Amino acid sequence: MARQHLLKIGVSGIRGVVGEFLTPGLACAFGQAFGTYVGRGVVLVGRDTRRTGPMLQHAVQCGLLAAGCEVVDLGVLPTPSIQMYTAATRARGGIALTASHNPSEYNALKLFNGQGLFFNHYERGELIDLYHQSEFYEARNEEIRGVRRDYESAQKLHVRRVLRYVDTGLVRARKFRVALDSVNGAGSIMSPGFLSESLGCDVAAINVDPTQPFPREAEPKPETLGDIAALVRERGCDAGFAQDPDGDRLAVIDENGRVLDNDDVLALAVEAVLEKVPGDVVVNLTTSSCVDDIAERFGRKVHRTPVGEANVVDKIQAVNAAIGGEGSSGGIIFPAVHLCRDSYSGMALFLHRMASTGLTMSELAGRLPRYYRGSGKVAYEHGRLGALMLNLEASFSDARMDRSDGLKLIWPDRWIHVRASNTEPLLRFSAEAKSEEAMEGLYREVESRLK
Amino acid sequence: MAAARKALRISQVGLRGVVGRGLTAAHVIDFASAFGTFVEPGRPVLIGRDPRASGAMLREGVVAGLMACGHDVVDLGIASSPVIQHAIRRYDAAGGISISASHNTAEWNALRFFGPKGTYLSTAEANELLDIYHLRKFALKEWDAVGTLRADDAAIDPYLDALAAVFDLPSLRQLQVVVDCCNGTSSLILKRMNERFGFDFILINERPDGRNFAHNPAISSDTIAQQLAPLMKPLGADVGFQFDVDSDRVGIATRSGHAVSEEMVFPLIADHMLPRSAGKLVITNLSSTALLEHVVQPHGGRVLRVPVGRQATIDALAHYRSDQVALAGEGTGAVMMSQFEFIYDGIASMLAILSMLVERGRPLDEILAHYPRFYMKKAEAPLTSPRIPELLTALQQEYSDGVANVQDGLRVDWPDHWFHVRVSQTEPILRIICEQRDHPPTNVFDNLMERVREMV
Repeated sequence: MARQHLLKIGVSGIRGVVGEFLTPGLACAFGQAFGTYVGRGVVLVGRDTRRTGPMLQHAVQCGLLAAGCEVVDLGVLPTPSIQMYTAATRARGGIALTASHNPSEYNALKLFNGQGLFFNHYERGELIDLYHQSEFYEARNEEIRGVRRDYESAQKLHVRRVLRYVDTGLVRARKFRVALDSVNGAGSIMSPGFLSESLGCDVAAINVDPTQPFPREAEPKPETLGDIAALVRERGCDAGFAQDPDGDRLAVIDENGRVLDNDDVLALAVEAVLEKVPGDVVVNLTTSSCVDDIAERFGRKVHRTPVGEANVVDKIQAVNAAIGGEGSSGGIIFPAVHLCRDSYSGMALFLHRMASTGLTMSELAGRLPRYYRGSGKVAYEHGRLGALMLNLEASFSDARMDRSDGLKLIWPDRWIHVRASNTEPLLRFSAEAKSEEAMEGLYREVESRLK
Repeated sequence: MAAARKALRISQVGLRGVVGRGLTAAHVIDFASAFGTFVEPGRPVLIGRDPRASGAMLREGVVAGLMACGHDVVDLGIASSPVIQHAIRRYDAAGGISISASHNTAEWNALRFFGPKGTYLSTAEANELLDIYHLRKFALKEWDAVGTLRADDAAIDPYLDALAAVFDLPSLRQLQVVVDCCNGTSSLILKRMNERFGFDFILINERPDGRNFAHNPAISSDTIAQQLAPLMKPLGADVGFQFDVDSDRVGIATRSGHAVSEEMVFPLIADHMLPRSAGKLVITNLSSTALLEHVVQPHGGRVLRVPVGRQATIDALAHYRSDQVALAGEGTGAVMMSQFEFIYDGIASMLAILSMLVERGRPLDEILAHYPRFYMKKAEAPLTSPRIPELLTALQQEYSDGVANVQDGLRVDWPDHWFHVRVSQTEPILRIICEQRDHPPTNVFDNLMERVREMV
């Protein structure tokens, strides 16, 4: 039987199935470690709409208060709003209680530093050491601060930030009809108003009740978005937007009810931003070459990073890029708004792009360079990983190789990226080529060599 | 510098310690999870806290632990222990937790646990809770069965309704009353009482404060003498009361500015309430004043003396039907009455004493002067000797002309005096206490102390 990974305490924080695995005791201890690490000051705490969110939030807040932090309870809020507000208020740090796209039984703590960014490699390492050493700051009665509530300010700030980068007059004039699916998640409260009041859209919304469980698989991908696709067709919408439970990822549906490929969504965002903002592009190794073609058109450089939002963010910061993201996971990072994945920046950029070009969503997507993509996974036996990778390298000696995250083999018209999963004994691989036959040939060849 | 001494005590009474110096967030989460496992599932659990700053931290942990065990939590906010206990009954809740170190100083905090009727846990129940805590075998629920939280900030009114059903509150308006709230939960109750019943109680130290209490919150005539008693004459008050932080104990000052000994609270209440109670049994501990027997006997009552400590009183209560017992209490100003199903309640105690003053139409100084005078002398000796059992046996032989009681150390009674020697449950000391009618027990005390010093 496959190993089960119901709790993971590691460099990305703490994530697991609530109940037997992710307990209030663990959440409290992690909260106190975090409070000890960032120091006695303000820490913001928000959450998505998971049933276990309030329980874990109280546990985390218990730990933070015990470490002498002043807690601001932001209530149910998209992760990007929490990040932005942490930076804007000069808080010591922020915590989002969300397992993002994972199923309902999971929850997790996402940890942000004073700049509202995911803890970087060093910060994560120090925090996890502190947690394991259990040498927490123990505030005495006179040092213990309270919990303050602020359910409004972060949303307002987030909307204001995003709207700075779109011509709202232009968008509003078009009175787009837009379908929305917030998966009853953190976006449920903020998204309808964002689209209707701020951007003048006629909104047809489903799954915007934050008190209800997730009605579909939490990850917004084509297979799970049948309802909103049908809604787009039925109501004749110009576009449809689907969020994940914590509002950082975005899926886009065109006016025909077709769910756009995540890589195409990112490519469209890159195109929209490069048109207006100077700077390079940062994407992970698995993101489509489509982005390279667009950047080339604007004379910009594309920087590739290992998979993981934190890696992309680090590089965006380092090269002061205009835009970045991870194609495969539906994450658009527009640093002018904030260095985080943000579905709201995406929605605003696409509506603005439709308004400024006069093109429909399918026309915009149809103009993108065409690539064929495939991905898969293969289980591997413990101890065989190194031999498998070396075998791949030897078999494809004509390819250019990038070993910064697993192995990426690159030819002028195709590539394949193979990497070991962080959570399971699986090798994940993605292939891309200019033609379907080339992609499938490459896919099968690599797959056979991994077995 | 040497590390500060840690203060943490986990016992049948619950969890108590100095926050950040012994009592940590992890203790709170685990204890709340243990209680959430211990109480019956499917019913809510009520919580409340006193104004200590650390209460905000403890509250978060208590809420998380209870919710994780599948309980819906009702938070009464800043609320006295008696208000929580009354609310538990009203809600038909599974139990409750009071986040309060009661009469301890501000740096302390504690969790105190109540059962389904707002009652204190019996020793057997408390032991079961401790076992769950120590084994860390918590009944944490799956994600879809985790509990919810809601607030109820209107628990004081129904509590006052319950008090008004027993005491004739409008009749108390004629008295001029000053109350020292010691920055605790009593101020919220008394302010509401002033509003609802047209009282004009003057409140001092009435601002709930989480960091500094105006004085040591333990009820003692020494504290009362410092601030409350000197105010009595200038304010023209008939009587004054002082509460501890969670309002389960009360102290008294008289019109003349006399700080009444905390030992007197229980006899006064017994004198007034015993004729109004079905039961005739009065439960107290071996160290409280003999005035109690003197007051109780004329009303046809009987005093049952049990070992010192709340747990002994609670266990003794369980041996009787509720209509057999009238009152239980200690010499600390903590009293519980059958009318309220045995909850230590300073506010109810105050109302009993006010009712007594109205009924008798005489000032408290006069009522007190009417009682025979008992003089108490207390001492402590460090527990350096392992020969305590020998000491107690020797003393029992030496004082064999008195009536010995060996339930808790040694108490020996004569018709007009008694002494009690016992090992403290909270500190490594031997407590020695002597009382004599009409005169200070100087000879008895000196004689006893000489024997003790020879042995320890």
